[in-house]
Amino acid sequence: MTLAPAASPVPSAARRVVAVHLDNVHKSFGAGKIAVHAIRGVSMKVHGGEFVMLVGPSGCGKTTLVSIISGVLDADSGKAEVFGVDWRSLSRDGQTIRRGEYIGFVFQQFNLISTVTALENTAVPLLIRGVNRGEALDRAAECLKLVGLGERTRALPSQLSGGMQQRVAIARALVGRPRVLICDEPTAALDARTGQQVIELIKSGTRELTGGAQDRCVIVVTHDNRIFHYADRIEEMEDGKIKERPSDLVMEESRRVHDYTLDPPDEPAPK
Amino acid sequence: MFRIAVRMLLGDKSKYLSLVLGLSFAALLIAQQGAIFLGLMQRATGPLQNVGQPDFWVADPKTRYVGEVRPLSESDLLRVRSIPGVAWAEPFYAARALCELPDTSFKTVQLFGIDRTTFIGQPPMMIAGSIEDLRMPDAVIIEESAIPKLGGVGIGDTLRLNDQRAVVVGICRATSGFESNALVFTTFQNALRYVPQPRNSITFILVKSKDGADKAQVAAAIDAIPTLKAFTGEELVARNTEFIIVETGIGINFGITVMLGFIVGVIVSASIFYQFTVENLRNFAVLKAVGARSRLLIGMILLQAFLVAIVGFGIGVGLAGVFSWGARRPGAELAAYFPWPLLIISFFAMLFCVGAGSVLSLRRVLTLEPAVVFK
Repeated sequence: MTLAPAASPVPSAARRVVAVHLDNVHKSFGAGKIAVHAIRGVSMKVHGGEFVMLVGPSGCGKTTLVSIISGVLDADSGKAEVFGVDWRSLSRDGQTIRRGEYIGFVFQQFNLISTVTALENTAVPLLIRGVNRGEALDRAAECLKLVGLGERTRALPSQLSGGMQQRVAIARALVGRPRVLICDEPTAALDARTGQQVIELIKSGTRELTGGAQDRCVIVVTHDNRIFHYADRIEEMEDGKIKERPSDLVMEESRRVHDYTLDPPDEPAPK
Repeated sequence: MFRIAVRMLLGDKSKYLSLVLGLSFAALLIAQQGAIFLGLMQRATGPLQNVGQPDFWVADPKTRYVGEVRPLSESDLLRVRSIPGVAWAEPFYAARALCELPDTSFKTVQLFGIDRTTFIGQPPMMIAGSIEDLRMPDAVIIEESAIPKLGGVGIGDTLRLNDQRAVVVGICRATSGFESNALVFTTFQNALRYVPQPRNSITFILVKSKDGADKAQVAAAIDAIPTLKAFTGEELVARNTEFIIVETGIGINFGITVMLGFIVGVIVSASIFYQFTVENLRNFAVLKAVGARSRLLIGMILLQAFLVAIVGFGIGVGLAGVFSWGARRPGAELAAYFPWPLLIISFFAMLFCVGAGSVLSLRRVLTLEPAVVFK
């Protein structure tokens, strides 16, 4: 369904590694008459180097789908692979370890630990992996510098603005150099200008930290159509399914309906 | 990550304070109830609290409670004195007497009769007058907390004990018994005059072994006399305590109180700690999502539990200690005894309390779906 714009510098899908592969994934909550079928047979692939947005109305299953992709939720049936390994083939601990190594998260509500500093929040994924504390804090400081918070490493989340907190969350997501970065509504709790800065940061930060490696991808769940143009590809969901509609059409429609952006880029947004 | 766990614990001052205060209250409850129970048990040992000189207290083998004894005879005393290895053996008399006060009211007093030559069995501390003054006619020494109970008497004042004249010649400091009666010390002979006894009149024979003598052999020799048994102070305290617990309602009633204190402590600390964990569930979910394995989360929660247990225990036991210290002042009606084993028991009780809370918390965290981070 979805094609990257022709100008994209990303190599063709055929030559790229498949980072995420969903095959006929189903997920329901509850049982019997009250069962809610959140995901109904979704199949999709995300290749290394891609920046994919998952869009759609509230309740269409976007968050459930990224929960399955990131291994925090098991699919009822179907295959959900990240770099060739199906989450359901792993034990709970196996899933946790692989998630720590492969997945980075940016959440809508930031989810920072309120009682520890920005530096320590950023270092958490490394500390969990058992990285030496000194090294973990050094790497966390680098990431905070990358997201423009090099001077606020000692600040508690409550001493930072919403945008700054989200930047700390991005630094935390990137510090472990994840191969799949999952961002759930990263701009929803932010004003338009800050939201735009955050999505640019996700894109540039990922590139910088991974050196533009083609074996990593970013999946952004959003219904914020002001940031659609940052995507290489857009997957639109409705009622638990992926809609068969080209990305360009989704973007164009979005531009028509919402004919505004704050600080519109001079050139087409980098893809 | 353990530093992060500590920061999670200490970072929110109000939550941390409520957690620590709750646990302190639980620790106070456990330790203080225990101390009162032990204090009552200690008071129930009567003269055993104040007499420290003898190695053995000789009494009838069936003796179970210091307030319920079969008197011994003069010949029993002589038999004990004749045993090799006995340095001295002196009679000790304990009985209740009625003291008439100048205002025509009356009080029951606990009367102790001690040997007028050696003063074995004397009160632990004289604070006015001299123990030697007991050799004067009708002389008695009263315990300082008895002064207000006996109408503010002082040295030189005259009392009537069982309708007999008694002259106060000294004030001592000693620990009251179970009934909190005023303590009055006099000579063995005077005591018999105030509270006459039939043929046998000795409550206990106090025995000291000779230096270098085998105490076990001395005790065995005394035990060989069919009507006598040599008890160490500890043995007699143990029998006394067992009697109080088993034969009186104190054991069951106070046991229930102590148990309630413990149960309330468990519930309070468990619920507070569980609440603390619940308030941090989102953090734990995030940690799970970004790769924290169960054993790491278990370690973090147990560390938090251990830290609050230590701090809560310290404050709670400190308060219980202050409470017990108040009970130590002369004349205190409050019975509280805080020996170090109670400290250890309280500590493990506290660990159990928080451990119970941790189990609930761990269950909640370990079954937590990391997917909640997206909600």
